Parts: sequence; C-alpha cells; structure tokens
Amino acid sequence: MRSSAGRGNNTDFYSGLLLIAVAIVALLYIRTLSVGTVLAMGPGYFPLGLALVLLGMGLCLAVKGLLAEGSPLGSFHLRPLICILLSFTAFGVLVERAGLIIAILAQVAIAHFASVETRWRQSLVSGVLLAAASAVIFVWLLKIPVDLLP
Amino acid sequence: MTDVFAQLGHGFAVAATPINLFFCLVGAICGTLIGVLPGLGPVATISLLLPATYALSPVSAIIMLAGIYYGAQYGGSTTAILVNIPGESTSVVTAIDGYKMAQQGRASEALAIAAIGSFIAGCIGTVVIALLGPPLALMTQQFASPDYFSLMVLGLVSAVVLANGSAFRAIAMIFLGLLLGMVGMDLNTGEARMTFGLVELSDGINFVALVMGLFGVAEVISNLEGTSVRIVNKMRIGTIWPSFSALRGAWGAVLRGTALGTLFGILPGGGATIASFSAYALEKRVAKDRSRFGNGAIEGVAGPESANNAAAQTSFVPLLTMGIPTSATMALMVGALTLHGIAPGPMIISRQPDLFWGLIASMFLGNAMLVIINLPMIGIWVRLLAVPYRLLYLVIVVVCAIGVYSVNNSSFDVYMTVGFSLLGYVLRKLDAEPAPLLMGFVLGPMVEENFRRSLITSHGDPMVFLQRPISLALILISAALLISIMMPTVRQRRVEVFQE
Repeated sequence: MRSSAGRGNNTDFYSGLLLIAVAIVALLYIRTLSVGTVLAMGPGYFPLGLALVLLGMGLCLAVKGLLAEGSPLGSFHLRPLICILLSFTAFGVLVERAGLIIAILAQVAIAHFASVETRWRQSLVSGVLLAAASAVIFVWLLKIPVDLLP
Repeated sequence: MTDVFAQLGHGFAVAATPINLFFCLVGAICGTLIGVLPGLGPVATISLLLPATYALSPVSAIIMLAGIYYGAQYGGSTTAILVNIPGESTSVVTAIDGYKMAQQGRASEALAIAAIGSFIAGCIGTVVIALLGPPLALMTQQFASPDYFSLMVLGLVSAVVLANGSAFRAIAMIFLGLLLGMVGMDLNTGEARMTFGLVELSDGINFVALVMGLFGVAEVISNLEGTSVRIVNKMRIGTIWPSFSALRGAWGAVLRGTALGTLFGILPGGGATIASFSAYALEKRVAKDRSRFGNGAIEGVAGPESANNAAAQTSFVPLLTMGIPTSATMALMVGALTLHGIAPGPMIISRQPDLFWGLIASMFLGNAMLVIINLPMIGIWVRLLAVPYRLLYLVIVVVCAIGVYSVNNSSFDVYMTVGFSLLGYVLRKLDAEPAPLLMGFVLGPMVEENFRRSLITSHGDPMVFLQRPISLALILISAALLISIMMPTVRQRRVEVFQE
C-alpha cells in the first residue's frame, strides 16, 4: 500500500477531474444532437445519459478526493512518455510523405532516447534490421499499399 | 451426444488443414514467447497481431489469436518457476512453490507438471466447450432485446469484479468506454455523433488504435520508467519428465484445478487469474500438511497451472454462445470477429460451424503442440530471457506503428494511438485499469441497440427489464455480484488476493 496523500492531491480527485472534463466535452457536442423521447430516441439520447452518469461519477470522485485522504498520484516519467509518443507521431507524419523506411528509421531514432539504457550502435542496427524486415514482411508479403522510399 | 462428436470430427477436418495447423502453431509459439517475456501480456500481443490477421480467413485468425491466449498460460509458468518472475498475472501464485522447487533442484519436475497439468486442463476445458456450447447457444437464441440488454449488463459487471482496485472507479471506466463506443455513425439515423467534424471518426474510433494505445504502448512507456533487471538463469534443467511418485502426488491437484478453472472461465467475473489464485487457496485448504506450501509443494504448481489453462479455454464459452466477452482478452476476440464481419452471438454455432468447431478442435491440437514446444524446447525459451528490453521495445513500437497504420492505411489512426497511449499512461498513474474501459467500448453499440429496442417494444416502460424472467434473473445476478464486491469482508479478501 502506498502512503496516503493529502486532500485534493490524490488519485480520487484527479480521476474525478478527468471524468468531468470528458463528460463536459461530450455534453457540449451532444447539445447539437437531437435527443428525442423514450419512444422515439434520437441519436443523442443514449450518449446524453452516459455523459450525465459520467459527470455525476466524476463529481463524486472529485468531492471524495477533496474531503478525504487517498493514495497519491503515481509519478510521471516525462522522458519515456514524450519520446515514445513523439516517435509514433514522427512515424505517422513521415510514412506517407517519406516512405516506410525513413519513417521506421526516424521512429527508432526518437524512441532510442526513451530509455537511458539504449546504446546507439545497437539501436542503429535494430533500426536498419527492422526497416529491412518490415519492407519484406509488410510490403512484399502482406502487400500493404505504402511506398518504401519517397 | 453423437451429434457433438460428428461436429467435432468436422472441426478436426477444419483445424487440420495445413494453413490452420500452421496458424495454430504460430499462435502457440507467439503465446509461449510473450508468456516467457515479462512486460508483454496477452492483451497487448493480441492487439499487436490483430492487424496481421486481416489477410487471413476468420477461422485461421481466431485459431491463431486463441493460441496466443492459452499459449501465454504455458509460457508464463516457465519464468515463474525458473527465475521467480511470473510472465503473466495468471502465474503469480505458481512462482510461490514453483521457484522453491527450482531452488531445491526440482525445476524440471515443476516445469513438467505445469505443462502436463495445463495439457490435461486444456483438453478437459475444450470438451466442456463442445458439450456446453450448442445448448447454451440454443437457449440464448430465445433471448429478446431486454434479455440481451441485461446480459450485457452482467458482462460489464464482470469487468468490475475482475478489475484490481476501486470498484467505483472501474464502473466509471466502463461508462467512459461506453461513451467512447458511441463515437461514429448512429446506427438508426446515420447521423454522425461526437466525431468533432472528423471524417476519419465517422466509422467510430478505430478499435486497434484504442487497444494498442491503452495496453501496448502505455505498457512500454511504464516499463521504460525504471532500470530493467537483467535476468540470469543459473538453474540447470535436467531430464524433463517427472518421476512417477511426483505425478501421483499432483494428480488430484490437476483435477481439482481443472474443475475450478473450468467453472471460473465460464462464470462472469471469473477468468484465468482469479482461477489460479483460487486453485492455490483450495490446494492449501485440502492439503494434510499445510506447511509444505511455500516450501516447494508440487500441488501448489499443479493446481493453479491447470486452473489458469482450463479457464483460458472455457472463457470462450460466453463469447461464442452468447456473444458477451467476460474479460479484456475476450473483448479483443469480439473485436477480431467484428473486423472479419462476424457478429459474435448465439448464431455463430449454427451459421459459422467451421469457426466454432474448428476453433475447438484447434485447441486440442494447440495444447498438444504446446507440450512439445514447452518441454523439450525449454532451453530456447529460457535463453530468450537474455534479450534486453532496450532492444525489445524498439521492435514493439515499430510493429505497433506499422500495425495500426495498416488497418486503414491512415496516419490518422497512428495519431489516435498516440492519444490513447497518453490516456492509458495517465489512467495507470491514477490507479484506474483500462480493461473495464475496453469492455465498455466493445459492448457500447450493442448495449445501446438493445436498450433502444427494448424500450420501443415496451412502449417506453423501463420496467420491461424486470418483467421478463430471464432478464430479471440476469439483473439480479448482476446486482448480487456488485453488492458482493462492495461488501466489506469480500472487499478485504479481494484486496488481499490482488496484493499477494
């Protein structure tokens, strides 16, 4: 068990905030849908119900987190988080513009920095091998319609 | 009865075609591989390989994905016994006595009984599916929409039972999943809902992107947080066949574990993990000398390992006969079937006999393959542990990216994966499990459809869910399950079980 954390700074409170945020975004969008009645439910009927329940649950959690102590938030490690997410974004941006091989090399290069244990020589070899293997498996064998090079 | 055997014969004819045998083997090997490698679970792997099954026939695809799931139960025990690191959550209790046995020089005995127990359990579990499947499907065909709605509710409640930690938060995750499932075209009016004007979202959120982000990529990110442990196996593995006396001692435990696992696999809220924990507790209770447990009791390996494998097989029963997934892995199977244009439900057995009976027959064959893969070739798997994570994760992220991209050949899906990875990572930090979210997401459209239909047939009277006997029974079971996990004593036990 983790030690307890102060009021307003625990997982209950932040989970509640997250749910409230999602519910509000959903509700803003649902406003544009017709809700209908029980007998003739519109496209907005069921989502509206779900979003309202979510909002209620989020409020409960947030209030509980404010009033009582709970378990503390896990610590965020920004380095792996940002590097891995960036590596995927780079793949997405490059795959249609620069081809699969460059996209993979770029992804491996960025993902390399996610861990402190990687060694650049090993990562380089892995990247080249991965690009070659993907070209063979995905493009030649599975015939994914994507260019290998720009 | 004879009918079942005739059908099963047909299933073997389907499963024994070279292509299906090949994919069964691929699934079994992949499963063993990820079972051995810690930090890569079946949910993440199946989602990783989902796009690759696109090119296959639905039967081959499901045979392979199922092989991954039960194969992981075999592989997970290997590392639990040899290096005290359970490859899967289902092997956590195996490590208690299994590792002790290995330290005492009885590693091969423990590995053998784990594999043999799993094999026996797998075969019995498969027979249970074959016998229970058709009558259950027939029964479910009588269901009207209110009954279906209540069945979905029961399926969702089971996700709460399975979740580790706060039940309230698990319920919130289900609602979040249900809401995400609403994104896309409304089935009745064709109107776009919550797509924020994005054309890419009109078919709904891409299932593969959601699963890979929440489970695969988020898992990689959290694995990279700390420094990795180098696992070195110093254990020498001798002859792999157990002595006769050891087999005799474990015989009862294998059968008890199988029975328990079979039951837990079928029940909502059961599943392989809980089955293995309960089997360990049961063995401890029936043993004459309890002090042997924790000091290398063979029953402590045989019971849980049989239970988790039996449960892995029988958890297909609710999916194939009623169309409801009872765990995150089964939710993935729903996704896989849907990707291939097959609606999971009671009609599978009659409309897709090749799929149902072929899958069952492949489980027999797959279990036999797994014994061969695991026993004589154990040395190869153990050596795999030496592959450092700093190389493994590079492979995982690249395969993830290509896999997500290839589903629709769209970069948008890759960006969506980034979003869900972030959500998955945040949820981990908030101690909220993503599994109930996935269940809600998968069941969302079906829940809405049956809710709408029920209220139309009842002229808007919500009491319809309590007036039909089947629906009422299902609602009562769901309520009982929910109340039971909220009760202080059960809650305490749940916490203990998950912390052990």
